[in-house]
Amino acid sequence: MLAIDARDVEKTFRSGWPRRRETPALRGVSLAVERGSIFGLLGPNGAGKTTLLSILATLLTPDRGTVMVLGLDVVREAGALRRRLNMASGRPSFLWSLRVAEIIAFYGRLYGISGATLRRRVDGLIELCELGPYRRIPYSDLSTGLKQRVALAKSLVNDPELLFLDEPTLGLDPDVSVRVRAHIARLRREQGITIVLTTHYMREADELCDEIAFIKGGRILARGTPGELKRQIRLGEVVALRLDPVRVPWLADVPGVLRCVEVDGWVECTVDEAEKRLPELLRALYADGVVIRNVQVREPELEEVFVELAK
Amino acid sequence: MSWRNELLAVWAVTLRNALMGARNVFFFFELLFWPIVGVLSIGLMSRFLELTEAQASFVLVGTIALSVVNVCQLEVAYAVLLDVWSKSLKHQFLAPIGIRHLTLGSWVVGMVRSLAVFGLLAALGRWAFGFQVLQPGWLALATFLLGCFLTAWVVGVSVCALITLFGNRAEAFAWASVNMVLVLAGIYYPISVLPDPIAAIARAIPLTYFLDAYRAHYGFASEFSAPIATGLALSVLYAGLAHWAFLAAIHRARRTGLLLKMSE
Repeated sequence: MLAIDARDVEKTFRSGWPRRRETPALRGVSLAVERGSIFGLLGPNGAGKTTLLSILATLLTPDRGTVMVLGLDVVREAGALRRRLNMASGRPSFLWSLRVAEIIAFYGRLYGISGATLRRRVDGLIELCELGPYRRIPYSDLSTGLKQRVALAKSLVNDPELLFLDEPTLGLDPDVSVRVRAHIARLRREQGITIVLTTHYMREADELCDEIAFIKGGRILARGTPGELKRQIRLGEVVALRLDPVRVPWLADVPGVLRCVEVDGWVECTVDEAEKRLPELLRALYADGVVIRNVQVREPELEEVFVELAK
Repeated sequence: MSWRNELLAVWAVTLRNALMGARNVFFFFELLFWPIVGVLSIGLMSRFLELTEAQASFVLVGTIALSVVNVCQLEVAYAVLLDVWSKSLKHQFLAPIGIRHLTLGSWVVGMVRSLAVFGLLAALGRWAFGFQVLQPGWLALATFLLGCFLTAWVVGVSVCALITLFGNRAEAFAWASVNMVLVLAGIYYPISVLPDPIAAIARAIPLTYFLDAYRAHYGFASEFSAPIATGLALSVLYAGLAHWAFLAAIHRARRTGLLLKMSE
């Protein structure tokens, strides 16, 4: 069952006066997201990720195309849809004088929650997002990481069926990022929430997402599971070797080796098929008297797929 | 949406604005400083010019109305301004609420704050200049205040619409237009002293009629046949138009992306 079914979505921003400047942001994007999945939208800056996310979240209306979210039309049935979704941004901003608990309670009331239910919900979210010691601290006095946790808590206040996360770990310390990612994975696992996230961190997408779409210039260039994308782009596999001597100039000329680079004392050879090429490489190195100290075989990083697609 | 949820959304905005107001020292400044300066300077000027008690009451009614409308309309405008300043506008419009919840919630806080300002200025006017706000009676006073609150609602919602339509840069224009409306409404003079084309504009402003009706109790003949009914009718008309304009501005902001830009 689909949580999102978007077809041929187009959006152009118009600005300037008297000369109108048109900036196409989305050029016929189609997207289908299964319920209960974590879907990643990746792409360089200005690719159209946030525009697409905003249309799905009813904050922006599309120029063309149809967008059904949770079975409702994002334009005609936006009011009913807003009750069932929520959003958190990596650059959160809330009223500066309100305290953490007050911010969550304010948005809770907007979603029709009150009394003991609201108090329980606020307490639960404060505990979930580890905001206990900060519940009475004004928003303006919080660090970036704490502000992002407030945004995450606020985004869960209405028990959304669909959650949009726009760069949820942007600018966070690594330990906090790990905890936020764990929260996101737990939300899907324990509550079955469908999550659509945009991120610049490929490792995050690789770790969290069931499916990924690469968007660039307002078009979706590729989509699939992280593994499918790596295969689809035909980047090959990487055979990393620690050798003595480190430099072996003829390695790049071995049949099936696509390229060789030296990284931190390792020679990384991208090959078309590791299973076939590894024995050949090892034999050639042994014959040449090169000492092989270590060998690793791995799939290409999602980051490499991203770089390839962003070219 | 059920009545419970309607009231809850209004209460959420009321509580939010009240908390923000209570924690901002500048909010107290606008609540106390300018209104007190206004009544003192106008009262002292009326003494220097040796105005009669009725004439002094005429201008003091205008000064108090100016403060009451200004404080209340500013609070209504906070329905959008607080979120524009804090760049949190998109969260508000992501929630399942309508602009009626925002404006009504803010209006409630505006009325409470401007009632406090009114009480303070009435006490100051009585103590310093012998001005009696209750001379026309409770009903006349309540009607006058209702007129001020309705005018403030219309002006505040219009400011919200302008800011949502043109972005932050519209703020200066919005505040200028508010003061223009108040000047045209005959704050310190009867509108009969205005040139005809400008007096025609003044006759289209609801506050003109509420001021006229209230001042009639201080011995100034009314310039209109049914000022309260006319003032109420115009208020309802403009309230509807302002609400529609704000709604249209929000729809446009969702289309142009301004809603997101104001949240960045």
